[in-house]
Amino acid sequence: MNASAISIQHDHDGHSGGHDDGHGHHGPVLQYQPGLPLTRGKLIMWLFLSTEIMFFAALLGSYVVLRFGAPVWPKPHHVHLSEPIGAFNTFVLICSSVTIVLALEFARANKAGVAKFWMLLTLLLGTLFLGVKGYEYQAKFSHGIYPQAPRGLIYEKPDLYYGSAVRARLGEPAIIDKLKELDDTPADQLSAEQVAARGRLQQIRKMVASPEQQAFDLAVVADQVMPLPTEGPGGSHDGGHGGHATGLNDIFPWLRLPAVIPGGNMWASTYFLLTGFHAVHVLVGLIVFTILLFYKLGPKQAGKIENAGLYWHFVDLVWIFLFPLLYLF
Amino acid sequence: MSDHDTHSAHAHGPITRVGDIPSHDDHDDAGHGSGHDNHAGHGGIGKYLLVFVALCGLTTMSFLTYSPYWPWRNEPHVGWAFMMAVSCTKAMLVVLFFMHVFWEANWKYVLTIPAAMMAIFLALMLVPDIGLRNRMVSQERALHMARGSDVRLLEQAGEAKVLAEPAH
Repeated sequence: MNASAISIQHDHDGHSGGHDDGHGHHGPVLQYQPGLPLTRGKLIMWLFLSTEIMFFAALLGSYVVLRFGAPVWPKPHHVHLSEPIGAFNTFVLICSSVTIVLALEFARANKAGVAKFWMLLTLLLGTLFLGVKGYEYQAKFSHGIYPQAPRGLIYEKPDLYYGSAVRARLGEPAIIDKLKELDDTPADQLSAEQVAARGRLQQIRKMVASPEQQAFDLAVVADQVMPLPTEGPGGSHDGGHGGHATGLNDIFPWLRLPAVIPGGNMWASTYFLLTGFHAVHVLVGLIVFTILLFYKLGPKQAGKIENAGLYWHFVDLVWIFLFPLLYLF
Repeated sequence: MSDHDTHSAHAHGPITRVGDIPSHDDHDDAGHGSGHDNHAGHGGIGKYLLVFVALCGLTTMSFLTYSPYWPWRNEPHVGWAFMMAVSCTKAMLVVLFFMHVFWEANWKYVLTIPAAMMAIFLALMLVPDIGLRNRMVSQERALHMARGSDVRLLEQAGEAKVLAEPAH
């Protein structure tokens, strides 16, 4: 399969007839083999990776351009991103990059058992990465951060449209029933936090219904529904926030009132697109590793492991840029 | 001497010159199986672990910008530049050593440089229409788009104790 790029062939039977094209009958014939001097599988993998470079460059480039062109962009803690979890996932992916490299080394050294161990470890680390990612997604979903309505609850600013959305939600028959039920519940059946939240909720309902509503009132409503956490690095999560770090949506999950995160919708679109495509790539890598685990990982499979490794390192590479761009910028 | 030459050709990488292309079968040669743990002459587990330690150190460095010890808290651009420098270093380490590009022949430039240039142009071409989209906006859009003042308004609403706490 891998002939030399240029080989010299001696044409001994050139005169035996049937060759009318009139060349190459004497002496050495240069046979040109087009292609780069590397195995075909690796060449195809690298060609694929160069298309992947452009694919992720387009995604990352759009993110950067959208982010810096936006009048306001949410801070990581506004959208419930946890930097330590992101850093942990980075560490997991770096570890898995090392384990796949070690699997290749041991496969080349004809130590199939050890190679399989490292391959299995890579698979487990990749699965751990996806698990942590799923946990992070859950934290977004539970705060109503989805890429799009109707599940997404994010409004850009506490304006009239936000106020009418809150009113509309509070006016839904199911919510009216639930609110009535909540109002009628004796205080001793609720926790102290729930009682306090119920009091705030009652005041908010009056505020959004009031005809003398001010712009600041709607900001207060938005802050009560889902406060923008004033989280400082290494600092407290709820310090200096009027004594409530959790919003009404957290205390009464059935409420699902519209919330305000300035710039939150564009953030959600880019975040889910970038991390989603990255997660799909991780998933594909895991499938490849699972298939490889059925082989005896000796030198014969070294080419396959190398190609899978190249792909996996690329996935790691993308995350190396995604982590600071999404979590720390 | 010719023995030595053949060996050194392998020692510098899997492919070092035209016509010397190892196929998968090459790895099965009896001579390679024994005593050639650092087959293909590059890498070596020690080197990979060194790169791993460097990557962990660099990740910690970029995480430093998030920590309270980062001195340029009020200058976000310093942190961004720092993190991009760290990320590029990490990417170089992964590409050069884990992806073996450091030891590859010159074909690596054929594949990576055009793709990298296309990647840069792709991002740059987005700037006029997407990056600068908010330089000139219709009045209606200006009215409805979120601004920094909205964040401040929400923060003020959080600090102001407008609502009466119910008596327990």
